[in-house]
Amino acid sequence: MAVRQYHKNFSWQFLGLFIASQVAVGCMVYAWQDYAHTYLNMTHPFLMVVIPFILLEIICGSLLLAFIVRPVSKVEAALSYAYRSSAENEGILKDLPSLIRAIRHLDAIKNPESKVTSEHAFASSVLEHLPLGVVIFNQKREIIYANSAAPTRANGKELNIAFSDNDSLEGWLNSVAEKDISASRWWKRLRQAVSPDEEKRQFFDAFAIYHQEGTDSIETILITVDRTEQYGVDEDDLDFTALAAHELRGPITVIKGYLDVLSHELDDKLTEDQKAFFERLDVSADRLTTYINNILNVSHYDRRHLNLHLKEEKLKNIYASIADDLELRARTHHRLLNVSIPDTLPTVAADRGSISEVIVNLVDNAIKYSNEGGLVVVNANAEGDFVKVSVKDNGIGIPGSLIGHIFDKFYRSHRSRENTVGTGLGLYIAKAIIESHDGTISVRSDEGHGSIFSFTLPIYATVADKLVKSDNSNASLIKPKKYIKNHSMYRG
Amino acid sequence: MPKEPTTILCIEDDRFIGEMYVRALKQANYEVDWVLSGNDGLAAAKSKSYDFILLDIMLPEKQGTEVISELRGGGQDLIPNTKVLVLTNFDQEDKAREALQEKVEAYLIKADITPRKLLEVIKEL
Repeated sequence: MAVRQYHKNFSWQFLGLFIASQVAVGCMVYAWQDYAHTYLNMTHPFLMVVIPFILLEIICGSLLLAFIVRPVSKVEAALSYAYRSSAENEGILKDLPSLIRAIRHLDAIKNPESKVTSEHAFASSVLEHLPLGVVIFNQKREIIYANSAAPTRANGKELNIAFSDNDSLEGWLNSVAEKDISASRWWKRLRQAVSPDEEKRQFFDAFAIYHQEGTDSIETILITVDRTEQYGVDEDDLDFTALAAHELRGPITVIKGYLDVLSHELDDKLTEDQKAFFERLDVSADRLTTYINNILNVSHYDRRHLNLHLKEEKLKNIYASIADDLELRARTHHRLLNVSIPDTLPTVAADRGSISEVIVNLVDNAIKYSNEGGLVVVNANAEGDFVKVSVKDNGIGIPGSLIGHIFDKFYRSHRSRENTVGTGLGLYIAKAIIESHDGTISVRSDEGHGSIFSFTLPIYATVADKLVKSDNSNASLIKPKKYIKNHSMYRG
Repeated sequence: MPKEPTTILCIEDDRFIGEMYVRALKQANYEVDWVLSGNDGLAAAKSKSYDFILLDIMLPEKQGTEVISELRGGGQDLIPNTKVLVLTNFDQEDKAREALQEKVEAYLIKADITPRKLLEVIKEL
C-alpha cells in the first residue's frame, strides 16, 4: 500500500532528524562541560554532564514530538484510514477530523504567501511526498494549495477532474453549505478532464471534506486516489463492448430490414400463419436489439456516463413511440396488453429514449413471466410531484426471499433461467435510468399471482427551474430546425 | 409523391444494408445514388445537390465524421439545402456523438430503423 511506503520513507527521515538532534545535544553538553570547568570551576559530574544532558534531551524530545511526530502521525493515520476505506469500497466515510486538525496544525498552507519557516517547509515536504492528491479550497472555492499528486491544471488553480453535471463537487458544496457545518463524501471512478493523450487518461476516486468554520481560510479538502490501473481496464472492456455491439447490430439491421421489406412486399401473398411467423422473427430481432442496448447502457452507467437529456415530455407520446413494438410482442406471445395513459397527465422531465427502454424492459418482463393468454396492464397517474407508471401482470410472481435482489446486476429470477431468455440487465438498467431521473422504481409481487412494477418521474413543472439552471449542455441539443435525435422513437 | 423527384445520396459500405435501403427508397419513388466509401461520398456530395444524405460512420477511406466535417466544418456549410441523416450502429462516446449531432438533422441507430421507418423519418424531415 502506498501509505505504508510513505510511512517507511518518513521513518527514515525521522531517524535522520533524531540522530542529528542527538549529535546536537552531545555537542552542547560538551561545550557546557568545557565552559563550566573553565569559567565556573565546576567539577561535579552531575552538574557538568548528567543534568544538562537530561534537560537538553527533554527539550529536544518535546520539540520533535510537538512539531513533527504528532501532527505527521495524525495525517498518516487519517490518510491510512481514508485509503483503506476507499480500497475496500466501504462507502462514504463520515468524518476525518484528525486530518483537518493535523493539516491545520501543520499550518503551512493557510497563508501561502507568508514567510516560509522551517515548519512550513517540512509540512509542504510531507504533503508533497504523499502518494495521494491533496487539494485545499478556501471559502471562495478557490484552490489555495494542491500537492504534486493532485489532478490540477492552469498552474494548480483548477481541478482537472471531470465530475458529471448532476453530481459535481460544486453542486455538492452548494447543497451542504446550505444546511451542514461539516460534511464529507466519496466519488468513485472520476475521469481526468483534460489529458494530452487519450490513452493515458487518469481515473480517480475522490474524497471531499467540507468544514464551515468562521474566518478560517480552509473550507474544503479534496483527497484523490489514482485508480487508473484499476479503471483503465474497464475502459478497454468498454471499447470491446462498443465494438461487439457494433458487430452484433450489423446482422440485426439486416435481419430486421429484410423482414420489413419482405413482409411488406409479400403482404398479399402470405397466409395468416406465415404473417405470424414474420412477426415472431421481427419480435425476436427487436428483443436482441433491446439486450444489446441494455448491455451498452449498463457499461455506460457503470462508468457514471449515463448521460441523460431531460426534457419536457408527455408520457403518452413516449409510449406512442414504442406502442406498436410492444403490441406486436404481446400479440406474438398471446398476451393481452391493456394500456391506460391519460392524455391529461402533467408533462414529465424525461429522456424519451431511456424511458422508452425502461417501459420496454418492464412490459417485456411482464410478457415473459406471465402465462399464455395473460393480461398485462400499463397504467399511469399523477401522485404529488410525480407521475407514476405501473406495469402489472398476472404471472408467476416473485418469491419474497428473492424480491430484494430483483434489481441487482445479472440477477435472473428463480424460474427465468429455465424458461426464458435474457441477460439479467433489464431491471438493473431500468433502476439506473429511473434514479437518474430523480424518480424511484419498486416492485410488489405475490408468488403465483403476478407482479406490479412501478416507477415515478418528476412532473416537469416541479423541476423546470433546476433543469434550466443546472444543465446548459442540453441547450446544444435543442435546435431551431426540425431535429430527430432519438432512435428509440422509431424502433420497429 | 413529390413532383420533382427527391434525391438521396446513400453512403453505406455494407452491401446488404445499402441494397436494402436503396430498394425501399426507390420503391417509394426517390432518386437514389449509392456509394460505398467516405471519399466517394464526399465527392458525390460536392458534385451534386441532394435533398438528403444517408451517412454511415464506420466507412472505408474516410469516416462519416470526417465527411461531415469537410462538408459542414470550419463555420461553412457546403450543403445548405441538404438534410443529413447519420445512420450508424456504432456506440460513440457521448461527446463525439453530441458534436456530430450538432452538424446533422438526425442521428439514428440502424438496428432500430427498418426501411419503412426510414421512409417515415425522411417524410417527417
